[in-house]
Amino acid sequence: MHALSHRDYDPPMFLARLLLLLLVAASAAAQQIHFKHRVLPNGLAVYSIQDRATPTVAVQVWYRVGSKHDPEGRSGFAHLFEHMMFKSTKNMPSEMLDRLTEDVGGWNNATTLPDATAYFEVVPSNYLQTLLWAEGERMGSLTVDEANFKSERDVVKEEYRYRVEAPPYGKLFLALEEASFVRHPYRRPGVGNIAELDAATIDDVRRFHDTYYRPDNAVLIVAGDFEQQQLDAWIDQYFAPIARPESAVPRVDVAEPPREHERRVTRYGSNVPLPAVALTWLIPAASHQDAVPLNVAATILSFGESSRLQERLVRGEIAAEVFADSDAREDLGLFGIVAIMASGHETAEAEKVIRAELAALAEKPVPAAELEKAKNLMITNALRERETSNGKAFALGEAIVLEHDPNAVNEELAAVQAVTPADIQRVVRQYLIEGKAAVIEYADESQRGAQ
Amino acid sequence: MIRRLGIALVVSLPLFATPPLPAPPPPAAPREVRLPKPVEKTLDNGLRVIVVPKHDIPLVAARLLVKSGAASDPAGRAGVAQLTSAVVTKGTKTRTAEEIARGIEALGATMSASAQWDASSIDVSVMSKHLPRAIELVADVARNATFAKDEFEREQAQTIDVLQVELSEPAAIAEAVASRLIFGGAPYGNRLGGTPASVQSIKRDDLVSFHKRHYRPENAVLVLAGDVKPETAFRMAQSAFGSWKRGAAPAPRAVAKPGEPTRPRVVIIDMPESGQAAVVIGRTGIRRADPAYLPAIVANSVLGGGYSSRLNQEIRIKRGLSYGAGSSFEARAAAGPFTADAQTKHESAPEVAAIIVAELARLSTAGVPESELTPRKAALIGSFAESLESTSGVVNRLSALALYGLPLTEINRYISGVQGVTAEQVRRFAAANLRDAHIVIAGNAKEFEAALRKQFSDVEVISLADLDLASPTLRVRKAKQ
Repeated sequence: MHALSHRDYDPPMFLARLLLLLLVAASAAAQQIHFKHRVLPNGLAVYSIQDRATPTVAVQVWYRVGSKHDPEGRSGFAHLFEHMMFKSTKNMPSEMLDRLTEDVGGWNNATTLPDATAYFEVVPSNYLQTLLWAEGERMGSLTVDEANFKSERDVVKEEYRYRVEAPPYGKLFLALEEASFVRHPYRRPGVGNIAELDAATIDDVRRFHDTYYRPDNAVLIVAGDFEQQQLDAWIDQYFAPIARPESAVPRVDVAEPPREHERRVTRYGSNVPLPAVALTWLIPAASHQDAVPLNVAATILSFGESSRLQERLVRGEIAAEVFADSDAREDLGLFGIVAIMASGHETAEAEKVIRAELAALAEKPVPAAELEKAKNLMITNALRERETSNGKAFALGEAIVLEHDPNAVNEELAAVQAVTPADIQRVVRQYLIEGKAAVIEYADESQRGAQ
Repeated sequence: MIRRLGIALVVSLPLFATPPLPAPPPPAAPREVRLPKPVEKTLDNGLRVIVVPKHDIPLVAARLLVKSGAASDPAGRAGVAQLTSAVVTKGTKTRTAEEIARGIEALGATMSASAQWDASSIDVSVMSKHLPRAIELVADVARNATFAKDEFEREQAQTIDVLQVELSEPAAIAEAVASRLIFGGAPYGNRLGGTPASVQSIKRDDLVSFHKRHYRPENAVLVLAGDVKPETAFRMAQSAFGSWKRGAAPAPRAVAKPGEPTRPRVVIIDMPESGQAAVVIGRTGIRRADPAYLPAIVANSVLGGGYSSRLNQEIRIKRGLSYGAGSSFEARAAAGPFTADAQTKHESAPEVAAIIVAELARLSTAGVPESELTPRKAALIGSFAESLESTSGVVNRLSALALYGLPLTEINRYISGVQGVTAEQVRRFAAANLRDAHIVIAGNAKEFEAALRKQFSDVEVISLADLDLASPTLRVRKAKQ
């Protein structure tokens, strides 16, 4: 569930992550994304989405390497590496990308996901050629030096403190991943930890770039104001000469075994004002046909004040906050429900209600109006994402990288519309009732030892 | 012009062997920014309706803006405006809370109500085909909210829980203390949503009174942007709001008193369990209508408004001391706060504070070179242009202008206005408005108090347990022995 943004100053927004994941599943029939596609001889996949009505253009490069590829003993490395991509290249001094984006009225950012790392920027469209040149530079000729490496590692350690140690529930989200997977590297924290970040060396950085940052492991997406032939010519000029290495790209090929038993763990943090509980279940990958109905189920459960868990738990004054999240990733997925308790209430109460609501969802077909509501919520969210070029490009990038199918970005709406009450019953029963839960309880350090 | 960064760079190629780097390809001719063209009409009851058609996506963002907010909270009961917003959607004369939530969500829309300092808003974002029904629901909620006792009590209890979570983070504590130092007992000195103690003291009648006094058509603006024609929007507004009655007496205008400038203080809030320290440096800033508004936002863009601003350059990029450092002016109906902040590991807090203080002084004394001023203005202009690409962004911009009584045509003047700000205006503004700020650090005092005392005489330390945000001394009054 961790997406780490390079520049994101906001505290970990649980709901923002939830919305992002809903957006993967929901494409609006009314808002098809029209894209062109080609593959360069060196393996780079290129997509373009033209919109001449806007004065800006978004450029994104997705590399199919994410926190699941972190080397042993180096958790947090993919994310640290992402930070290094903003430093120097053969022809760009450090921070030059900011000169080319922010300084001209645009912006740039990046995010390290479990399965991929995406670099994205938006600029006034007259800077498109410059940005394509810059992304070609980073792909082909990143250079690293000790001073920048150390300084950026310090920033990443501060980010760890900012996201994990300072917020009261930061550690819960790490514990949730660790308790949910026994073998798959999704269990390791994308943000790393201080000790393993300190163990990383500059040679690790160079090796990582050589291994993963290559045209045949990347997807370039350009969306917004451009002239097609000119775009194609620039892409050929700046990206075609980048060599494809001889070696194969290492893939993560770890099977997560199905859970035989339910699992319970308790974790503690400092400064935790109200206890919390998380329940997770293993679900299939984003490309599986059950990913969409599971997403609709999560929407029914917790999206909006009239959702089932909001009504039972929050209006029922048992929990201060609750949300359900169907996080279908590239290899497999995780369905999670997290509740932060209301004062004076025990996590056992929330757990009881959550299980009862899942049972109800499996036993009785969702009423037509309620199903329609969930679909409408997902469609409206998709529309909001597609208001901007960067949003369109991001939706397409996720479809390509997580589902291995660019057309999913448009087909998904029809898939959402086609979900029936029986589909919801079936996936809830199969994955969330018959599937074994992992339960993570989270409380303040002062409660350790108390019964 | 692409400008090389300054001194702290270590470029990996040895300088003596390097010919000048090939320049990146230059930009082409720029495209024009599309500015929204608002159309407006005021209903007979005084409700102002502003519409911006934008037909590229079948989506509409709508906001009912009530021009009263937390600055109108009764004394000692901070959080009334916010709690009124929280409960206003929880039941009307003809609909229960569940019916309202189901009604709006059936359309695929979400309705959110919230308060700021000078306004309270009810927002919807909805597919255009469902707009009429969404507007009806907004109108019912704004006009006919009943604030039922059980809804009030539930929301009050939940708010207290949420506040407890918020106030367990050092950043929230440091910010709250800074507000109290800057504004003293004036309303802006409170937390916008109050504290657990102040919210506990609120009664249902406070909400009913707030609603009665402030939620009225002549004190409100309806702003819509998206896939709707102006005439259609005006008809919808007339249908949903036309019979909303003006208030009997004139609406009370909250005259938020700005804080008197106070002797700057250095305060540590000791939070030994916190994962990181939060540094907040602040003082009074400007009001929105201040003639220096544009120099202020340009000065802020240079100082701490964005990734490449000075504070972030010095604190994050050059020294790796923080994930992010920044600053902001909150230009409100009366002068709001100016704050600069960063979170960092405990032992680095004094260094971060010193850097911020130094940067405030530098901006006040040395003029910003053109080569820096131009990109910082471009960053502001770009962010402005980008905000206009989404329906919600357009609604935000126009509601702010409507709230502060500024002509909507200000939107057309923003870009040239920013471009026209000079380096000397920035320096003069900084010299007049950035000195003598308070310094607040919330974190594990053991790790930084000694170092801080070397930098500043007169450092006060308050432990979290002793902190009372409502008290002018910031300390809980201890019972006499």
